[in-house]
Amino acid sequence: MLEELPSGFPLLSVILFLPLLGAVALWPQRDADLMKQSALGVAGLELALSAILLYRFIPESAAMQFSERLNWIPALGISYHLAVDGISVLFVPLSAFITVLVLLYSWDAVRDNIKPYLMSLLALETTIMGIFVSIDLILFFVFWELMLVPSYFLIKLWGVGESREDAALKYVLYTLLGSVFMLVGFALLSLNYHHVRDAYSFDFLELLTVPVPVGDQLIIFWLIFMGLAFKAPMFPFHSWLPDALVQGPIGMSVVLAGIKLGTYGFLRFSFPLLPEASTNATVVMLVMGLALAAIVWGAIVAIIQSDFRRLLVFSSISHLGFVVLGLFSLNFQGVQGGLLQMINLGFTTAGLFFFAGFLYDRLGHTQVERCGGLASKMPWLATVLLIIGMASIGLPGTNGFIGEFLVLLGAFQAHWVYGVIAVSGVIFAAAYFLWYYERAIFGPLGAMVPRVLPDLTPRESGIAVALCVMIFWIGLYPSPFLRTMNGSVQEVVDRLSRGSVANHGQARLARSVPPGPAEKDD
Amino acid sequence: MTFQLPLSGSDLLLLAPEIFLTIWLCVVLAVDVTCRHMDHARLAYLSVGGVVATLLLLIGFEYAGVRGALLHDTFVLDGVAIFFKIFIVVATALVLLSSVDYVRSFRLFRGEYYVLIMMSALGMMFMASAQDLLSVFVTLEFSTFGFYVLVAYLRDDQKSGEAGLKFFILGVFAAGLLAYGISLVYGETGTLVFSEMTSMPGSYGLAIGFIMIVAALGFKIGVVPFHSWIPDTYQGAPTPVTAFLSIAPKGAAMAILIRMFYVALATFRPVWVLLFVAIAIVSMTYGNIVAIAQKNIKRLLAYSGIAQIGNVMIGLAAGTKRGSDAILFYLLTYLFANLGAFAVVIGVGNRIKSDEIEDYNGLNRRSPFLAAAMLLFLLSLAGVPPLAGFIGKLYIFVAAIEQELYLLLIVGLVNIVISMYYYLVVVKKMYINEPADPTPLSVSAPLQTAIFVGIAGTLLLGLYPAPFIDWAVAATLMFSNVAVPVAPGG
Repeated sequence: MLEELPSGFPLLSVILFLPLLGAVALWPQRDADLMKQSALGVAGLELALSAILLYRFIPESAAMQFSERLNWIPALGISYHLAVDGISVLFVPLSAFITVLVLLYSWDAVRDNIKPYLMSLLALETTIMGIFVSIDLILFFVFWELMLVPSYFLIKLWGVGESREDAALKYVLYTLLGSVFMLVGFALLSLNYHHVRDAYSFDFLELLTVPVPVGDQLIIFWLIFMGLAFKAPMFPFHSWLPDALVQGPIGMSVVLAGIKLGTYGFLRFSFPLLPEASTNATVVMLVMGLALAAIVWGAIVAIIQSDFRRLLVFSSISHLGFVVLGLFSLNFQGVQGGLLQMINLGFTTAGLFFFAGFLYDRLGHTQVERCGGLASKMPWLATVLLIIGMASIGLPGTNGFIGEFLVLLGAFQAHWVYGVIAVSGVIFAAAYFLWYYERAIFGPLGAMVPRVLPDLTPRESGIAVALCVMIFWIGLYPSPFLRTMNGSVQEVVDRLSRGSVANHGQARLARSVPPGPAEKDD
Repeated sequence: MTFQLPLSGSDLLLLAPEIFLTIWLCVVLAVDVTCRHMDHARLAYLSVGGVVATLLLLIGFEYAGVRGALLHDTFVLDGVAIFFKIFIVVATALVLLSSVDYVRSFRLFRGEYYVLIMMSALGMMFMASAQDLLSVFVTLEFSTFGFYVLVAYLRDDQKSGEAGLKFFILGVFAAGLLAYGISLVYGETGTLVFSEMTSMPGSYGLAIGFIMIVAALGFKIGVVPFHSWIPDTYQGAPTPVTAFLSIAPKGAAMAILIRMFYVALATFRPVWVLLFVAIAIVSMTYGNIVAIAQKNIKRLLAYSGIAQIGNVMIGLAAGTKRGSDAILFYLLTYLFANLGAFAVVIGVGNRIKSDEIEDYNGLNRRSPFLAAAMLLFLLSLAGVPPLAGFIGKLYIFVAAIEQELYLLLIVGLVNIVISMYYYLVVVKKMYINEPADPTPLSVSAPLQTAIFVGIAGTLLLGLYPAPFIDWAVAATLMFSNVAVPVAPGG
C-alpha cells in the first residue's frame, strides 16, 4: 500500500473550496469592477496557496501527501478523501494559473452578465481542483460530473458561435454518456473489493490493496476508458470538441483544451488499479493505434482548417494523441513525458487559444483568409504567438521539446513503429502552424484587415509574458518539474511492469524499466 | 374459522398515529363546518399542524423502537412500516403547504380539500402496515377514494373532470383485478397473510393471482404497462393533487410490493426477479423517451415519474436486502426532488395560470429563486452529483451490480443520459430564453417553506446521506435472510 502522509492543516480542502466560497461571496455584489477584482483576488490567493502546496510537496516521493479523510457514506465505503502525489500535484497550480489568466483575459472581453460568468468560472475551478485532489473514486466522479454544470452555462450563455446551445448540450450529453460507463467500472472495482474484504470501498488506496482478476480488469478498463476517452477527448470520441471549443467562450476553450482531465484519469486510476489490463497486448495496441491516428489525423485536418480556432481544436486532438502515446508506452520515459506534456499543453495549447481570443477581440473573427500581414500592425502579438506556437511544435529550448522528446523516447522503446509514425506528427504540426502563421501574420497586409489594430494591451502582455516564462522555464530547466513527478511515475511504472510480467509474453515492456523486477521466467 | 379481533390498550398504542390523524381530520372538518367565516389558510395550517404532530409521533416511535403486530398480523408496525409512514406524512405536509395558495382558486368546498388529502394519507399509512391481502385491498381502496374526489376537484375545468373519470374507471378496474387476484391466491393457499404463504408450492392459479395483484399495484405506482392513466390525470388534476399523487401512493404501494415479494414470494425469487428486470427496463426507457416530446411541465414530470419508478424497480429486480435498502433510500431522494419540482410548478402556475414549458421561458429573470430551485430539483432527478438523486441512483445501481444485472444496468445508465436531455431543455428555457412577460413572480410564504424543505432534503441527502442510508438499512433488517445474494463469482 502506498504511504500516506496526513496533513495537519487541511490545505487541500481550503484549495478545493476557496473558489466556491469566492463564487458565493460574489452573489450579493453589485459593482462590476469590484466583482472582477474580488474574483481575481480569490483566484490569485488560490494560486498562492497552490504554490505553497507545490513548495511543501516532497519531491521524488511516491507517497500520497497532504492527505485528509472523512467518512461520507460508510455503507458504501465512500469517503471524503483528498491527497496529492507526484501525478496530481502539478495540476493544482496549473489549474489555478490558468484560471487567473482566464480572469485576466475576461476583464474586458466579457461584458454581458459578468457576475454569473465569474461565479461559473470560480465554481468550475473548484470542480477541476476536486478532480485532481480526490482519491476516492466516487468523490472524483462527483467533481467530474459537477464540472459539467458550470461548463454547460459557460458555453451556452457566453459562447460566441451561432450554435452554442447545441454545442453545450452535446458536450454535456457526450461526456455524461462516457462517464456513466466509468461509474459502472468504479462500481465493479468496488464489488471486487467486496468479494475479497466483505465490505465496499471506493477509496483508491484501499482498492490498490486488492488485486483484480485479469478478466474483470479488461471489462473495467474499457468501461473506465469510455469515460476518460469522451472527456479527454480521444479520437474518435472527439466530435463534441470542435463545437464546444469553437462555439464556447475563449475562457472555456482555454480550460477545456489546457487541462487534460481525461488522460490524467488513465494515470491516476487505470494504470495503478488495472495493471494487467493496461499492459495487455491487445489493449496497448488498440489504444496506441487510436493515439497515432489522433496524432496524424488531427494534424492533417488542422492543416486544411481555414479558421484559427478550429485549427487549434484539431491540433489539440493531435497533441492529446502524443500524451496518450507517451502514457501507453508504459515505460518510465513515456509516462513521464506524457505527464509533462499534459502540463505543457496547459501553457501552449491554452496559450494559443488566448491568442485566438486576442485576434477575435480585434478582428471579430479568426478566419485565415481575412487576415494577412498582421505582424506589421501588431509586432509584439506576432512575436509571442510565434514563441508559443514554436513551443507547441516542440522546438528545442521550449517546454514542448522536453515533453515530446520524452514521449518519443518512450514510444521508440515500446516499438520503433510507434515512434516513426509519431515523428511524422511532429512534422505535420510544424506544417500546419507555420503555414497558418505565414498566411495570417506575415505577407502583405490583407485587404480586409482594419486600418487601426492595437498591439497587445498591458493586461494581455501580462498573460503573454506569464505563458512565455513557464514555457522557457520548463524548456530550459525542467528538472524541478520532473523531480516532483518522478516518485509517483516510478511507482506507477513498477506496478505496470508487475502487471506486464503477470501477462505472459509481455516481458518486452518490463525490460525498459530500470529497476523493474525480473523478466518473464514463470 | 371464526375471526376474533382482540384489541388491548397496549395494542392501540401501535395505532396511535393513525388514530390521532383520524381524530385530527374530524377536528378540521368540524372547524370548517362551524366557523364558516374563518380564513381557509388557517384551516390549512391547522391541518399541517396535525400532520406534523403525527410525524413527530412516528419519529418518536422510530426512536423508541416501537414494534408489533395487531389483528392476526394484518396490521404490522415494523421498520418498513414506520419508514413509509414517515415518508407519506412528510409528503402530505409538503403538499398541504404548497396547496394554500392554489386552494384560493376553488369556488366551493375549500375545507374538504384538506380533509380529503389527510384521509388519503391515512389510507396510505394503513397501506404501509398491511401484511395480508385483505388489508391490502381495504387500505388501497380507502386511500384511493380520497383521490377520486381530489383529481376531479376543479369543477369548472373539463380536463379535471376527464382526469377524474379516467382515474376512476381505471382505478375501479384495478380494484377488480386486485380482488380477483386475491381470491385466486386464497383459493390456492388458503391463507391471506404474507408470512403464512412462505412455503407454499407454486401453481398456475397462484401465478395468475399474483400477476393480477402486481397489475393492480403497478397501476398505483404507474409502471409501464399500467401507466396509461398517468399523463392525462397528472395534467388535468389540480397541481398539488398531482404532486401528492406522484409520490405518496408510490411509496405506500412500494411498501406492499416489497413485503409481498420479500416475504410471501421469497421462494420464487428467481422468477419474479426477471419480471421486475423487464418492468424496470420498459418503464425507464418508455418514460424517458416519451418525456422528450412533452410540452407541458406536468406531463413531463409524469413521464419522468414513470422513468423514476422504473429506476426503483431495479431494486426489486436485484431482489436482495441491499435492493430493498436502495428502494427506500431512492424513494426518499425522489420525495424531495419531485415534490420540490411540483412546488415550483405550483408557484409558477399560481401566477401565470399555465403549465406549458414554453411559459417557463426566462423564469430566471422573473424569479431567480424559483428558477434556481427548479434547477436543483431537476439536476437531482437527473442524478447529478452531489445531489440526493445521484446517491440514490448510485445505491440502486450497486444493488444491481451485486446481482450482476449488467443489461439492466446499461439500460439504466443510458436512460440517465436521455433524461438529462429533457431536464436540460427545461433548464435552457428557464435560463437562456427571454421571457415573454418579464414581470417578477412572487412566491408565497407557505410555498416557499415547501420549496426550502425540498432544497434542504435534496442537499442533505446528497451531502450527508449516511444517517438516512443507515435508517433505510435498519428499516429493512427483517429482510436480511430472506433474499440471499449470489455467491461471489456465482
